[in-house]
Amino acid sequence: MSTPTRRVDAREKVTGAARYGADRTSPDLAHAVFAVSTIGKGRVVNVDTAAAEAVPGVLTVVTRIDPAELGSPGFLMGGGYGFQSLQPLTDDRIAYRGQPIALVVADTLVAATEAANLVRADYEPEPIATDLDDEGAETLVQEEAIPLPFLADIVVGDADAAFVKSPVRIEASFDLPRQHQVPMELIGGVVEWRGDTLVVHEGTQNAGALRGGLARQLGMDLAKIEVIAPYTGGGFGQKNSLQPHVGPLALAARRLGRPIKFVMPRTQTFHQASFRPASRHRVRLGADETGRMLAAVHEVDQQTSRHDLFPSMSTEITSRLYGIGDFRGRQRLVRTDVQTPGFMRAPFEHPAAFAFESAVDELAYAVGQDPVSLRLANDTDVDPVTGQPFSSRHLAECLRRGADMFGWAGRTHEPRSMRAADGSRIGWGVAAGVYPASLAPAVARVTATSEGKVTVGVDGHEMGQGIRTAITLLISEDLSIEVGDVTVYVGDTRVAPQHLTAGSWGTATALQAVHAALRELRKHLNVADSDPVDLGAAVAATGQTSVEVEATTIAPGQPPEIIEHSRAGLVSFAGPVYPGFVAFSFIAHFVEVRIEPTTRRIRVPRVVSVADCGRVASPVTAASQLRGAVVWGIGASLREESEVDPRFGGFANATLEEYPIPVNADIGEIEVGFVDEPDPMLNPVGVKGLGEVAMVGVAAAIANAVFHATGRRQRRLPIRIEDVL
Amino acid sequence: MRPFSYAVPATLAEAVSALAASEPGTKILAGGTTLYDLMKLDIEAPPAVVDVHRLAELAAIDTTRPDEFSFGAGARMADVADDPVVRRDFPVLAESLAKAASQQLRNMATVGGNLLQRTRCGYFRGGPAFPCNKREPGSGCSAIGGLDRGHALFGAGDACVATYPGDWAVALLAFDAEIDVIGPRGVRTVAVGDLHVEPGDDPQREHTLAGDELIVRIRVPVTPSGRGSTYHKIRDRESYAFALVSVAAGVAFDDRGVVEDCRIALGGVATRPWRSPAAEAVLIGERLTEATARRAGEQAFAGARPGTGNAFKIELGIRAVGDALRIAGERAGR
Repeated sequence: MSTPTRRVDAREKVTGAARYGADRTSPDLAHAVFAVSTIGKGRVVNVDTAAAEAVPGVLTVVTRIDPAELGSPGFLMGGGYGFQSLQPLTDDRIAYRGQPIALVVADTLVAATEAANLVRADYEPEPIATDLDDEGAETLVQEEAIPLPFLADIVVGDADAAFVKSPVRIEASFDLPRQHQVPMELIGGVVEWRGDTLVVHEGTQNAGALRGGLARQLGMDLAKIEVIAPYTGGGFGQKNSLQPHVGPLALAARRLGRPIKFVMPRTQTFHQASFRPASRHRVRLGADETGRMLAAVHEVDQQTSRHDLFPSMSTEITSRLYGIGDFRGRQRLVRTDVQTPGFMRAPFEHPAAFAFESAVDELAYAVGQDPVSLRLANDTDVDPVTGQPFSSRHLAECLRRGADMFGWAGRTHEPRSMRAADGSRIGWGVAAGVYPASLAPAVARVTATSEGKVTVGVDGHEMGQGIRTAITLLISEDLSIEVGDVTVYVGDTRVAPQHLTAGSWGTATALQAVHAALRELRKHLNVADSDPVDLGAAVAATGQTSVEVEATTIAPGQPPEIIEHSRAGLVSFAGPVYPGFVAFSFIAHFVEVRIEPTTRRIRVPRVVSVADCGRVASPVTAASQLRGAVVWGIGASLREESEVDPRFGGFANATLEEYPIPVNADIGEIEVGFVDEPDPMLNPVGVKGLGEVAMVGVAAAIANAVFHATGRRQRRLPIRIEDVL
Repeated sequence: MRPFSYAVPATLAEAVSALAASEPGTKILAGGTTLYDLMKLDIEAPPAVVDVHRLAELAAIDTTRPDEFSFGAGARMADVADDPVVRRDFPVLAESLAKAASQQLRNMATVGGNLLQRTRCGYFRGGPAFPCNKREPGSGCSAIGGLDRGHALFGAGDACVATYPGDWAVALLAFDAEIDVIGPRGVRTVAVGDLHVEPGDDPQREHTLAGDELIVRIRVPVTPSGRGSTYHKIRDRESYAFALVSVAAGVAFDDRGVVEDCRIALGGVATRPWRSPAAEAVLIGERLTEATARRAGEQAFAGARPGTGNAFKIELGIRAVGDALRIAGERAGR
């Protein structure tokens, strides 16, 4: 048996054999394209489709769907399934620029595109508000607007009083821009009817929500809907829910009696899907003269849409970064005229950690402490919020090991004190990151054959993070079979409920279920839990050619009936607070920036990141995921902003050419490390999460490095050339 | 996209005939990296396209003459960028191409077509919803008072502030290049400096070529300052980005170390490739020092008229000019 040195589906991916949703084709396939609103808000008075309908090959142009025929999917964070509650085409309201006003279906993509361009509409426009501070933007206190316990402000002790009494006080406000996920695979796929069964092939992180949401929208039985998504070409939160094109496609496909393909153009993915909202974080930190943190106040304003309240959970991590006795969070939501924002990789934690860890760096300088030492001195064994222990917490080890790998000891403390031979300023910065270790219910069905091969169908989605590889490795190691003898089905509602894979719970959730199924299998095969097994022989000994077992697992403390909630396609995860403990993943990032002496371009020649994600379930894909998150952090800190012209609304730089994600030439050396200590308290496989925590703190480490290089604090992202000129 | 007729002439003569007989609005297709893009955006809607990208007569690169380099209009950007003689004797030309677009685009795009690349202004490309005089005359300019971080400091007016996006033309302008153009009325030569026009009252008009004229070749006089040259491009990322500011610079020294020739042209900051004779004059007869280079940069940006979000490009540009002159000076063997 050998441990693979690459992901198990690498060959399929690089040869193009991997089939994504929109890769499907069939002789009678029709193509759909949306025409979209060109105003930022108002009412559509009339849609002229005559020219569009005259384009040869056009089959139908849909401008209005009866809400009785297609209801709202409900908002993902409001007990529903959709990225937003608003279902376009069901009334005359325009809530945001780029909202669909017509769906064109044609024999070819060219005809559909041409026809969509010819759709003309008359509008009654209304004034728009796009920014947190805009006139007309409406600010709500989150815990009043959404009275749910897990969204309430975190308050421990009396932070305001403790802050005022603190000998050293840091106070700063940080602004973060709107950003978009821009996954390589565009949103879309193929929708078809097989008899009275609706089949959806679409890249998603949440096949269960597509199924549940369509059932709700179309008034259908869940059993008559199949969602198949073996591969998702990157989701990063943008594909975590039902998108508004699927319902209209299902209706059109039924009426036309043909399968329909829809691939959302890149520009529309900026307007018809979720994004990272603008946010502002005000942080107050009180400490004693040694840098011991005594009080923290973290106040957040976060953009949302008019029609949904996308909640913030920013203070969930900032209250746990250090052992601060008095903490007060406050989260407010600001309604603006935009599609509903959502979860983009480390959705709250990246902005929150940028703000908080920048402030911690300011504190280190205010008290003349080394930023690593200061963080180590403020570490805690006990969750300051609940008083419960952490299931595992190796943040200090991340900091120590990272400092070692980076050569932090060679740093000089004073800003502007390090300089390269070419005159560039060198800055070294550090920051920590935390992310909840959640778990979700999952079902795993394992079939083992007398040939020694195993097939598993399980909750989970392969969106590039390597879940298929992690599952394969677990089975291969447990049963002593080659990885080539394991077949994994994920993202398919025919084999499991397919709960949302997000929030870094995916791998741990799937592995926990597979692990339980393997225990069942061993029981069936009469093999003790830890004994080596000759799988083929053991199956043959049962007198059968194959043995099938199933296991269902849930998070600690969840009621067993949560699995039914998950089967309905609803978000059903638990954590990070469990009965008797809390669970988080941790990371430390060390960044070197170099800033040119004259034109001040900021470069990041090297980064060292060390993560505590519990046991590393798949070394190759884990390292890849961590490097990818660092790349993303560099983009989020120095490059990316979805630009908005407040006169028009929508997003101005909504293409891959204009939205400046990093290119290879922007990326230097990224060295990653793992503490790799199993966390058996959280689950039997000892795995926490990695994909999200990997990005938390990168931005602060970069900004702190820029401070070290220049002596100037950066309180707004992205940090661009004009900010350091 | 709209239907269009498509012709593939086999020879240059056939291409000229095809263009002579073509209806108004016909477009010449070379590498296709920008025309198809603009057609998909519905900005260009030509009734006919004449595809010249296979014409061998347009592909030649000639760097053998001591007085002049000649580049066929159909030569690929990548081929000129990688040409060892160009890289050695005229680095500004090679660098202006190598720092443009991506490798994939450079493999397709031609040095002739590149000269006529249209602006990247988001309002121009964004569709009819945005007022844009370049796209729809009389509709207004959304960039004025809008998102103008990438917009022009020079050559703009009330009708349009869109930046000319290219790099290659900036380098050519600095070194007095000319283009040979063929059309039904014969062959003529146009200085690169006379090719592009400022928007004035008619932002739709971007250059002085007639619709039936085809660029045949680009000729660049070989000069000592070409050897002591660089294309210094400052952008938001290290590759695949348009210039925030770019500088084509060249210097040559006499035997006393005094600057006897100086070239300075700017990209990313003007509505057309922008040369600064006044900045060049600052250095001629002077020694190239940090101080004189700074003065040249200040002179180059003396008349800049910033909008709301692009004023930083003045100081950035001054420093970029200084750096470009330093690099050029090192190559000139000061």
